[in-house]
Amino acid sequence: MSLENRIAEIIVSRLNVKPEEVTDIANLKDDLGADSLDMVDLMMDLEDTFNLKISDEEGNTLQTVGSVVAFLKTKGIEA
Amino acid sequence: MKIPSLKIGDLIVRYPVIQGGMGVSVSKASLASAVSRAGGLGVIASVGLGEEMDTSIPYLERSQQALAAEIRKVKEQGLAVGVNVMVALTTFGDMVKTCAKEGVDVLFAGAGLPLRLPEFAGDSNMKLVPIISSGRAADVICRSWFKKYSRFPDAIVVEGPMAGGHLGFKLNDLLDGTASDLDTLVKETLVVAEKYEQQAGRKIPVIAAGGVYSGADLARFLNMGASGVQMGTRFVATEECDVSEEYKQSYIDAKEDDVAVILSPVGLPARVIKTPFVEESFGAKQKFKCFYKCLITCDADKANYCIALALLNSYRGQLDEGFPMCGQNVTRIDKILSVEELIQELTGEAEPLLT
Repeated sequence: MSLENRIAEIIVSRLNVKPEEVTDIANLKDDLGADSLDMVDLMMDLEDTFNLKISDEEGNTLQTVGSVVAFLKTKGIEA
Repeated sequence: MKIPSLKIGDLIVRYPVIQGGMGVSVSKASLASAVSRAGGLGVIASVGLGEEMDTSIPYLERSQQALAAEIRKVKEQGLAVGVNVMVALTTFGDMVKTCAKEGVDVLFAGAGLPLRLPEFAGDSNMKLVPIISSGRAADVICRSWFKKYSRFPDAIVVEGPMAGGHLGFKLNDLLDGTASDLDTLVKETLVVAEKYEQQAGRKIPVIAAGGVYSGADLARFLNMGASGVQMGTRFVATEECDVSEEYKQSYIDAKEDDVAVILSPVGLPARVIKTPFVEESFGAKQKFKCFYKCLITCDADKANYCIALALLNSYRGQLDEGFPMCGQNVTRIDKILSVEELIQELTGEAEPLLT
């Protein structure tokens, strides 16, 4: 599965949204309805799935689906 | 059945009644020590304590000094003490460190998610108790603390929509009555606590708060599986409470129409007594100078008043320059009791109702 699809799967399951809503430019809070608790959970989901640590500062920059994909790529995660 | 004690780790509180931390200066050493002496757990609110000191001392320093002084007044009587530190404070981490250094027994943290609390508490034996308003928040904190710090909360306070002061609900849900009631919240938090108990290797006590008023309430929550209750409003109406007589009298006088939920500069809704100040501050913008930024969430350029000052004024008895905070049940208060009388009334009423 591609990195994009794996991330989409996590977001769909955590935020209870439809797969087609999870576009590159979708904002996690404004478009996908994540509240502050969802954001904390989502960061932990990403940490667990991709076995990495996301600092609070890094987490704060992850606003859109695309930014999550780009961030994970900078951490050397491709798929 | 005999009323059970409250066990938080190795701390044993004779009666399962916690006096909720109330700022600004509502619960200081006088109230907290009276509650602990009567067999409950007294809690000092850290917020705004330094404002009675020489304000030429830098904000953080005087806040820490004043808090340490209040803690020592309780500790030197050989009593246990809790401190409530709001997560929304810009000084949160530093105030928690002061508590750890001063040997505080239990640290309560609400008004935000205390995700970094274990880090600030360090390796002290201080019990760490988040205050949350949903099972989801309890779950996120448990999951995050275990992942980052390999530990779990020593207890969890779950606070419902009838509480006083700042409330962890959306303003609209409070106004239209759609916020979950406390019984529902206690049950969902018990489910979360049980889910993590195996990993924790111990019980995670759940404490019910927000609208707890009588011994019958205490019995109901204990019967439901909670390990205790936290109460604020009733402790304000006690001889030992640190606030002015005017503040206490406003509780006795309060009628249904006098209680309002406002959006506080803390960024959360808050339940207060509707003084003329509250009505005047709606929509109007009062100019004030912010000398120190005490709340992460307050934008002094946009806030219509300084909440720290408004609360300090009402603590001092100048109710026309502020407002008392209160729980929804404030309307039921009709007299001032001693803390001992209150604890005896609550436990006496609860005991025959325990199953």
